[in-house]
This record gives sequence, C-alpha cells and structure tokens, in this order.
Amino acid sequence: MIEDAPPSALPLIQPLGDSGLLVRFASALSETANRAAVDFARRLMADLPAGVDDVDANLVSVLLTYDPAKVRFDDLAGEVRVLLATASGDAPARTRHSIPIVFGGEDGLDLEVVAASLGISEAAFIERHCSRSLRVLATGFAPGFVYCGFHPENLAIPRRTEVRRSVPPGTVLFAARQTAITATSIPTGWHVIGRTAFRNFVPDRDPPTQLREGDEIVFEVAR
Amino acid sequence: MTELRLTRVGPLVTVQDAGRPGMRRHGIAASGPMDRSAFARAGTLLDTAGPAGIEFTTAGLAFRVDGAPMAASFDGGDFTLRHNHQPHAWPSRLDLVPGDLVDISPGAAGNYGYVRFDREMLVPPVLGSRSTHVVAGLGGLGGRCLRAGDLLAFGRQLEGGCRSARPASAAVGEKHLRIVWGIHADLFPAEVRRRFVESTFTVSASMDRMGARLIDREGVFTSSVGLSLISDAIVPGDIQILGNGTPIILLRDHQPTGGYARIATVISADLDRFVQMRPGTVIHFCPVTLDKAHAALKDCYP
Repeated sequence: MIEDAPPSALPLIQPLGDSGLLVRFASALSETANRAAVDFARRLMADLPAGVDDVDANLVSVLLTYDPAKVRFDDLAGEVRVLLATASGDAPARTRHSIPIVFGGEDGLDLEVVAASLGISEAAFIERHCSRSLRVLATGFAPGFVYCGFHPENLAIPRRTEVRRSVPPGTVLFAARQTAITATSIPTGWHVIGRTAFRNFVPDRDPPTQLREGDEIVFEVAR
Repeated sequence: MTELRLTRVGPLVTVQDAGRPGMRRHGIAASGPMDRSAFARAGTLLDTAGPAGIEFTTAGLAFRVDGAPMAASFDGGDFTLRHNHQPHAWPSRLDLVPGDLVDISPGAAGNYGYVRFDREMLVPPVLGSRSTHVVAGLGGLGGRCLRAGDLLAFGRQLEGGCRSARPASAAVGEKHLRIVWGIHADLFPAEVRRRFVESTFTVSASMDRMGARLIDREGVFTSSVGLSLISDAIVPGDIQILGNGTPIILLRDHQPTGGYARIATVISADLDRFVQMRPGTVIHFCPVTLDKAHAALKDCYP
C-alpha cells in the first residue's frame, strides 16, 4: 500500500515504551513520508539531542532511544518539534551502489509467476525491474535486510499468501513496488525473484552494513 | 588459565553481557540478559565481575572447573545449586578450584538464571558485545546456544573493582504488569482496550528470547486490527497482537521492526519480573503514565 499523497501537516510524536520517542510522518508508506523520515534521521544523527542514545529511521518514522534519567520525554518532544519546524537545508549526496542479480530459475522461483501476474514476459519484467534506480527505504526486520523502492505502478503486485520458512542470504525479494534483499536466512512472504552475491551484512566489518537509508541502488543483470 | 567444561546444558543457554545497543540501524536488536536486574545482581556478588556471563533456562546446566581457581556468582529466579554434590544457597557466590563440579538444576521459581565470573570470558566480542543473538547467529560461542561438551576459557582475574550497589529484587508474587499504551492503541476499539486491562491473561509455555505468547482465555482479542499496518520500530516489552488474536510480549532478541498491531508496551521496570513468570502464571495489565514508568525505573536501577 503506497500512497503518494502528502503526509499530514504535522508528524505524530509519540512514546514507544518508556525509553523511545517515535516520530511518525504518515500511517501509510509513501515516497514523501519515507524521504521525510530518512532526512530527519540524518539530521538527528549529525547532532544527537541531549539524552538521546540512538536514532534509527524506519519506513515512515524515526525512533529516538533516550535515557529517561537524562532527559524528560516532554522536553525531548519539544526539541523534536522545533527541529521539525526548521528547514532541513540541502540533502546530502546519495551514495550509489550497483547490485548484480541472477534472475529466475532456481535462484528466483517466483519470477515466472510474478511476470505472468503482470501479464509480461520474464525478460520484460527484468528489463523494467532494472530500468531505473531505486532508493534504500529502510533497513529493518533482520540484520542488513533492506527495502528498496519504488517501482512504477505497472509493477505493483501484493505479497504471496504463503510464507516460505527460510530463504538464504542474498535472496532478492519483490512485492508492493519494492525490491528487498536478505542478508541473513529469514522466513518471507515476498516473491523470490533472484539472488545476488552482494552481502549487506558482514558482522566483523565496521560498520557491519554498507547500505544506508536514502542511498541509490542500481540493479543489474549478473553476467 | 581457567576453563569451564560444560557437562550438561539445558535448552536456550547462551552467553550474555550488557548487549549491543545502537545496532538497530543495521537491523539488530540489542539482546542482553532476559532479566537484566538478575544479571546485574549476580555481578554484585563478586568484587569485580567480568562483563559476560551465562544465561540459563529452567533446566539449568552443570560444569567442571579446569586449569586455575576462580570465583563465580549465581542469581536470577530460584534454582537448586550444588557444589561438588553439596547443596548450596541461591543466590550465592562460590570460590571454585580445578576439579570442582557445579550443578544447577530446576528450583522453586523463575525461568532464567545467571552465572557470572571474576574474570573475562574469552569469546570474541561481535559488534561490541559478547551477547548471543541466536536468530542472527551473532556473539557468544559461534552465535549459537551452548551445549554439553563446550569449553569456555577465561582470562586473568579482574582487579581493582569495587562492588556496585545491589539492585533490589523484584517483588515476587506480583502478577500485574504495568504498561504504557502502544503506538497502535488507538486502532483498537475502546471496548477492546477496556477489556485488555480488565481481563487476565496466562503465560504460555511458548517463550524464548524473541518473545512470549500469552493465552487469552477470555477472548479479548479475536483478531488483530489494521492488518496492512506499515512495518515500524519494535522495543522490548511491546505487546503485539497476531492476526489470529494471539498476544505476544516481545523480548530481548525481538525483530527490530514489525507490522503487527501493538496495543501496549510493558514498562522497563516490570519486564525482568515478567520473564521470570512460569507458564500458567495468570497476569493482568495495568496502564500507567510515562512519568510513573520512569519513576519505577529509577527505583529499580537507582
């Protein structure tokens, strides 16, 4: 579900447990809300408010983890409100990554079904899938798991009704105008369309993941 | 060098330290002890405790000490402790010498216990922590649960420490859990929210480091709400309602984000107490303000 309507006038600031402050830019996924969340998280990370231990962007929200012994929720919420009302300045340059994918066959068991449900050939699907760059919308769900979006409306299909119990690292997933890449073995209800040798999560590397929210992703057919 | 040879290991026994906060942006929960206050209390029984200890579950574990003497301390729940076959108090501290046998078996109460040591456990930190995150395969011994036959090596005795204050034990027998309302509470009808705090729930046997399923005998939740919710941040203590109405309290190895509706979050000061509740315990939820949650946290970890 992706709505391209602008987010409501003001983001919602609410507690998440007793040491989290969540800034929600929308209740549904949209390009605008995702960009707002990614941008706001970057600004916070560059200059952490007092008492805040961690900042993390989600698909359309930003979580601030704070120490209630150091800052009161209401004071932090006030500070966040001021920041939200301040112009963000120039967006930083986006890092561009090329990710090679082996599509279909045993590596992409659902490619045939996906192409058929869109009424196009597998070759046409691959061509459309790689025709324009996507943005990393968020890291979440599992270590190094990234959501990339958005594909055009004519590539929109929902998730599968069945969940696969486990897909390996480097599995390329497709649903809801997004392509996602696994970095660990996970269960998934998304369509498996291919495999990549790219590993976003390497625990002994610092930082352990390479892709950041907002980065530009170009998918290529692996040779 | 001191070594521990694990001779008997129950299920879901792991190496834990304070955890790896700040890794959320990489898609990784902080992990760390299920009962953080019990882990801290065990540490206060030693002059200086090494940062990593062993977390065990109801069935416990047994080990033999090899190489050199060391001190160990035990806390969390109520387990049966034997030192060279002789019963010993719980919680307690033991001065161990090579050849000593330690056996921890089920006791009167609790799900999680801890043993800590007066020296550093020689397992490599991963992303700044030795905590095991089994689902992600990180930390501890090869990112997995410990098993019989494992050998844990230790460094030199830590020096120069002073015991930290001993946090209070959680009141035993209290079956209410304080909550703050969750990020999706407004999506549940007022009647469901009212019944949620007026009804009782039962702790089920389905509990692991990711989460604990509750039994909803009174049928408060027959289904979830907003099944197409956007995936959003999860914190330990979040109470999510699955599509079939099953409530789950998410715990230390939670997924960093999730798309099920979350009606409430158990406050930090009560989460340690919850993880020690055995299957069959009847609980109820009591909403409090954020200020009350913070005051309770201050009492718990002064």
